[in-house]
Amino acid sequence: MISHLVCALSLVVFYTLQNAVFSQTTLISGTADVILLFLAAWSLQEQVENSWLWTIIAGVLISLTSAMPYFAPLIGYIGVVGISKLLQIRIWRVPIFAMFIVTFLGTIFQHGLFIVVLQVSGASIPWGVSLDQVVLPSLLLNLIFALPVYAVVTEMVGRMYPLEVET
Amino acid sequence: MKFLNSKNIQTIVIIVVVSGLLFLALSGYLTPVFNLSLNPLVSLQRWLSVRYLSARDFLTTPSDIVQLREQNAILDSQVTQLQTQLIEMEERLGEAQVCFALLDFGRTNPQYEYIAATVIGREISPFLQYIIIDKGTEDGVGFGMPVVTQQGLVGRVDAVIASAARVKLITDSTSIVNIQLQSAEIEAQLKGSLTGDLSLDMIPLDEVIEPGDVVLTSGLGGNYPPNIFVGQVLSTQRRENALFQTASVQPIVNFESINAVLVIDNFESIDISPLIPEP
Repeated sequence: MISHLVCALSLVVFYTLQNAVFSQTTLISGTADVILLFLAAWSLQEQVENSWLWTIIAGVLISLTSAMPYFAPLIGYIGVVGISKLLQIRIWRVPIFAMFIVTFLGTIFQHGLFIVVLQVSGASIPWGVSLDQVVLPSLLLNLIFALPVYAVVTEMVGRMYPLEVET
Repeated sequence: MKFLNSKNIQTIVIIVVVSGLLFLALSGYLTPVFNLSLNPLVSLQRWLSVRYLSARDFLTTPSDIVQLREQNAILDSQVTQLQTQLIEMEERLGEAQVCFALLDFGRTNPQYEYIAATVIGREISPFLQYIIIDKGTEDGVGFGMPVVTQQGLVGRVDAVIASAARVKLITDSTSIVNIQLQSAEIEAQLKGSLTGDLSLDMIPLDEVIEPGDVVLTSGLGGNYPPNIFVGQVLSTQRRENALFQTASVQPIVNFESINAVLVIDNFESIDISPLIPEP
């Protein structure tokens, strides 16, 4: 129960931060996506079991508020958490390394999906310009913010599920 | 003769001498003598006083430092408070300037009714150019309403809920605005792009346009009211074998730093899509 509450509150905070701060802080035309980073970091935690549920909730809510068509943010976040779950199994010894890989692959997957969806919906989104102006700057910003977001999420999860000390 | 004994004579002499000295002193005749005798005394007193004060300072300095530090801390806190107040005042001044500018725009365009709104966010996806404002249907904002600032055209309302609305900027890659060039009376289409740059399209090749030409909305299509300032022509491009020439436009509105906007309340956009033949 506490896990659901913390996740819901964190999502509200990260959503507000994303809309009010990070979306307005651009590098060329790219922006960081702290919701993606939060979901990636949350799903990488071993103790957390509700990451799929909150990914879907966050994805639906953001799809409803975003102008992006066809529920693309939801599909993007599900893809990111999928990558995260795959890596959690394979790279379980170095979770921070997994966080960077998830951020890298997840950002590329999400932006690729957005480009395809926008092209399908009729927008003029050239691949080359998108890569130079949006994808790579966003990737860099996401990699920069991956570490602090991961640290915050790990700290929260650590407080929720304190390690049992053997006596 | 008993009165003139030796004691009385001594007393009388002393009184006379003292009176004489007083008389001489009061009349100023003894000043050089006083100066001569007092100068060493004053010098001695000064020397002693300086040493005493130095010694006192040396002994009392630690408590003074403590007091000074306390005073310094108090002054520091006062400076911090004043700086905070100054920042708040500057912020309020900035907001007031924006409000005055919006009011000026409203006064210069009295044919429209406006709803002032504050920008509270931006679209999450960096591929899209949208802003979120803090006014919705409860405040009278409706779908399709044009949005401006004191400088010029911003976009139009794309989605609206009770207390907020999403505005599609004219810089969005899916945005098309019908415009006219004020100098040459040419009509064309203004298109946004992924990077937020604006360009003009559908300009006939035989028309001459110059950098600096003013771009205004034409009102064609029914999405925007006419004669709203959009920007200025930056440069023109002519390609061989192209049917139309294109031009880059410098928008008058700085879309990176929009804080407040005006929604035009009494303009009804017209949906002409049913009239457009399907390909």
